[in-house]
Amino acid sequence: MTNTPASIKLGGTGVRASTGAALVGALIVWVALLGPLVTLLAHVTPASVWKALGQPGALQPLVTSVTASLVALAVILLLGTPLAYLMARGRLPLPRVWEAGVILPLLTPPLVIGLLLIFMVGPATPIGNALSHLNLTASDTFFALVVAEIYEAVPFYVLGAMAAFAAVDPALEQAGALLGDSPWRTWRRVTIPLAAPGLANALAVTWARAMGAFGAVLIIAYHPFGLPMQIWVTLQESGLASALPFALVLLVVALPVPIAAYIWSARARRRI
Amino acid sequence: MLAAAFEVARREFAVRVALRVPPGGRLALLGPSGAGKTTTVEAIAGLVRLSRGEIRLGERQLSSARSPASDLPAGRRGVGLLRQNPGLFPHLTVAQNIGYARGSDAARVRGVAEQLGLGALLEARPRGLSGGEGQRVSLARALQVKVDVLCLDEPFNSLDAPLGRELLDLVRRELEDTGTTAILVTHRLEEAQAFAQRLAVLHRGEILQLGDPRDVVLRPASRRVAELVGYRGWLSSGPLTLALHPDRVHPVGAGERGEISARVVRVLPQGSRMEWELEAEGRWRGRFFCTSDQSATIGELMWFAAPAAPLFRTADEPSGAPP
Repeated sequence: MTNTPASIKLGGTGVRASTGAALVGALIVWVALLGPLVTLLAHVTPASVWKALGQPGALQPLVTSVTASLVALAVILLLGTPLAYLMARGRLPLPRVWEAGVILPLLTPPLVIGLLLIFMVGPATPIGNALSHLNLTASDTFFALVVAEIYEAVPFYVLGAMAAFAAVDPALEQAGALLGDSPWRTWRRVTIPLAAPGLANALAVTWARAMGAFGAVLIIAYHPFGLPMQIWVTLQESGLASALPFALVLLVVALPVPIAAYIWSARARRRI
Repeated sequence: MLAAAFEVARREFAVRVALRVPPGGRLALLGPSGAGKTTTVEAIAGLVRLSRGEIRLGERQLSSARSPASDLPAGRRGVGLLRQNPGLFPHLTVAQNIGYARGSDAARVRGVAEQLGLGALLEARPRGLSGGEGQRVSLARALQVKVDVLCLDEPFNSLDAPLGRELLDLVRRELEDTGTTAILVTHRLEEAQAFAQRLAVLHRGEILQLGDPRDVVLRPASRRVAELVGYRGWLSSGPLTLALHPDRVHPVGAGERGEISARVVRVLPQGSRMEWELEAEGRWRGRFFCTSDQSATIGELMWFAAPAAPLFRTADEPSGAPP
């Protein structure tokens, strides 16, 4: 009995120490990760942003990036969601092969992806030839930009969605089926709502990745200029100071969606 | 009539079951953990594919190993399943959970909820419910669906015994009222006896005995069945083994001569009664137990009677040494 108060006290001290360490750690992470952002804000004035964006056609790269990312996101969502579900439930034959296929674009440097895409879907390839019959060209076109963004971003969505689906107890899907639901209805009423917070996070990361896609884009979709390409070209032609306003615009457009998704999914998880 | 004769392949052993339950009949599947009870009801509910055989409900074929593509999906075969894990949808309220199935209306949901004492919890989320409340919601949800067969896979085992009994009794009354066929999976003999008209004893995927619950207890077909229905004493004499149930052995009065003489080894309280552990002497050898209203003195030699105790040939029983 005499040891009990001491143990409690020791335990309490331990908790306080670890909380303190966590705060210091969090501070270091915040300073390290937000440092560049603060630097950006320190070097950009409202006047410079206004001047950069006020030039004729200055907003076109932003429109191109947002549109291409939305199309890429729609394609990824449409194809990646069922794929992630089937992979999470182990319903695909040769599961390791599928996993490797999804992870590979993540492990491949984006520039290399761009080079390889030229050899796969470029105008001189059989696929490129087939695309030309559909009036599509996967080189220096909006379509090429979407393709490059999909390749750079798709693993982030599929892996995130897989984790979200795997966290849904299959017994709940069985309960839905036992209560008379078709597999599709169970998926809509049980699986998707329960996986939604994880799916939202995965989608948010994918959006940020698609908006910021650069390596593969540089190789196969130099034109039309998206925002990352605009930053790169401005940097090359006019220097760092001229590129910074566009960098700020990219952050302002790309970040709110992930932040909102993160906040929503955290709240949704608490409800569940 | 539910008629099932099938085999389901499992890693350790195949579950081979042949049973028939008449409309409105109640069958209990009794067996230890891992005997294949859950696999059996999951196959009937359509959650597990058959390796061989078929399951029919009246004229309808529910599952067939020969044409699995034409198996009726779970939820469309008129079979419900209530499990130990309530499986409530965490993103829905209690009312939404109860009314999840197509065709259930708000008035019916409220009615069932009131009947099960859930009226005040209709807007609560499952994570805030106690184990008993969760099970009652699960039961209310199952009762919303009109089924021909309801499978109960140890649904109330995680609850305290009185509440579990109360809920099982409620389910039994509901089944009687609606004439619904039922299969109860359990490893508690008393629960099986209280619920079912027929008892099937399952062990390692095989039905060892199927019959009237009292018959199975009084006349177990094998030593393994005897063990599973509560026999705990095994006395041997040559090639014979006498199975003794603690409730069916009793000491005979002074001056009388019973069949078994035994010395008291230990006396332990068991509920409102005492349980004696005894070491047989004389013709029969081995240990057995006897429940009695009285205490006994350790070392005392007494005579016991065990009317109609089942007798097995030791060589026929491969289930190991007596406990």
